Amino acid sequence: MLKSLRQQLRSTLAGPFDRDYSELRFDDRGHGYDPFGAHRDWVEGAAAVIAPLYRWYFRVRSYGSEQIPASGPVIVASNHSGTLPFDGAMLYMDIVHHTNPPRLPRPIVDLFVPSLPVVGTTFSRLGVVAGSRGNVHRLLNRGELLLIFPEGTPGIGKPFSERYHLQTWREGHAELAIRHQAPVVPVAMIGPEEQMPQIAQIPVSLFGAPYLPIPLTLLPLPVRYHIHYGAPIPLHRDYRPEQADDPAIVHEAAQRIKDAVQCLLDHGLRQREGVFT
Amino acid sequence: MNRHLITGATTPLGRALIAELLAAPDTEAILAVGIEPPSRVDLPDDPRLTYTRANLARSRSIRKLLFGPAKDLKLTTIAHLAQHRSAAAQGREAYALNVESIRDLMPMAERHPTLRRFVYRSYAEVYAVRADKPQILAEDHPLNLAPRTPQWIRDRVEADLTVCTRMGMSPLSISVLRFAECLAPDMGSQLHDYLQSRVCFRPLGFDPMLNLTTVADMARALALALRSEAQGVFNIPAWDTLPLSRVIQLAGRRAVPVPGPLMTPLYAMRSRTLGTDFRYDLNAWRFHFSGVLDGSRARHVLGFDPTHPIDWATLAALLP
Repeated sequence: MLKSLRQQLRSTLAGPFDRDYSELRFDDRGHGYDPFGAHRDWVEGAAAVIAPLYRWYFRVRSYGSEQIPASGPVIVASNHSGTLPFDGAMLYMDIVHHTNPPRLPRPIVDLFVPSLPVVGTTFSRLGVVAGSRGNVHRLLNRGELLLIFPEGTPGIGKPFSERYHLQTWREGHAELAIRHQAPVVPVAMIGPEEQMPQIAQIPVSLFGAPYLPIPLTLLPLPVRYHIHYGAPIPLHRDYRPEQADDPAIVHEAAQRIKDAVQCLLDHGLRQREGVFT
Repeated sequence: MNRHLITGATTPLGRALIAELLAAPDTEAILAVGIEPPSRVDLPDDPRLTYTRANLARSRSIRKLLFGPAKDLKLTTIAHLAQHRSAAAQGREAYALNVESIRDLMPMAERHPTLRRFVYRSYAEVYAVRADKPQILAEDHPLNLAPRTPQWIRDRVEADLTVCTRMGMSPLSISVLRFAECLAPDMGSQLHDYLQSRVCFRPLGFDPMLNLTTVADMARALALALRSEAQGVFNIPAWDTLPLSRVIQLAGRRAVPVPGPLMTPLYAMRSRTLGTDFRYDLNAWRFHFSGVLDGSRARHVLGFDPTHPIDWATLAALLP
């Protein structure tokens, strides 16, 4: 009875996004959890919770999702912004929704995130993984899809005046792509950079978080999200795995990815009719 | 030639290993070593098995053992399992068995005329489990060398490193097996003691992944290592990988999340009033952050894969 009610609620919330998650590729270790703590039911539940935001609040429009490889290791690299990581949630939802069979995106987050009570555990159930080198190596070895925001925490806290200008672009994802021979799909997210302008940052160290953001609005503004996927950058064809040890090569590859994301951002901004439309 | 010396032979793991080795027809002799007098030891009746009493905390006992019965029986391998299991065992006496015995045992084994293989039972608890470290623990994962680490862990790290240091310097072929925690009675499992209460407090907002093994899988891994010539460190993972909340639920206990800072005083009080062995300071990190052993090296080199899941129904039935 309770299960059927839950199922019905989930279907109602998810609407057209309600799909068969039994096909979700998953390293189930016998109790329904993968070694990183992800669980299919949580992914399904999260999809139902995120779907209304995706459909009605941010009214996400997705372009070029067919660029995401159906299998094998892949790194999705995107710009990052918006004070709170709604951009990560929308991109996560978009990938789950547009891949067939559904692929579980593994968002890579800062190392302080697992220290956050409730948040760290909830995120791990959904497939989020802290970005230590060992973790990401293992995921790519298993042929998983990594969601990386090379701008990191400075990106999500960038000043409003810097919107759509990529911040310091970390290079670890390029090294990983070369070493694991994984293609990189560049992604530009238009919308989140305007959702929650930040007016201040209080430099407190709570559970390892670098600062406490003070946004202009209590809730994110209902901006329209546009997610643009670019053609996969074939770093796996252009470089050999051993070249991952060459800093110049890694820098060059990271710059290629950054340029591709900036190009998609510029293109998306030109196409956009308005912040809320 | 398979002629084995098993220390810690009277523990559940020692007994399971002996049974596993006796089941193999190529086992010619086993010398089981324990601290208990023979009259109090319940081991299988097999002509290939000999029991001897020895206190491994004393150097002279080790010498007598190795150059006495172990020499007479022409033993070829050692499985060193003897360690204080209780977290309450502290001080010089515990250190003498946990660490000093290895410092004595290894050089003597190297001088022994027939011994050529040394397998040491180590623990997953030697690894540092932290938010900023990988959740999947490979053999090169950082060790728990934090300044205020309790002796129970510090001894295990030191013993592990003492054995590792001799790899390549010793004529013995040496393997260190780092086992996932064995959720069973009398195995020194902190988690098993934790589950003795009907109500189990856990840190609010955290539910880490645990990897829990069985005696049967441990014995099989040890038997494989004894027969192998492979040197090095091997993680021995478990079949069961699940979050702490699920462990509590499967054990038929009630989980009560409480703010992390209250955990230490609550369990210190429990330990003082009930005399239980569970110490929260030993487990604080792994009650917050996940640590699952990566067993790929053991799979490729030793041919070990965990096959025995925990029998949760039996475990729950045996808990008070």
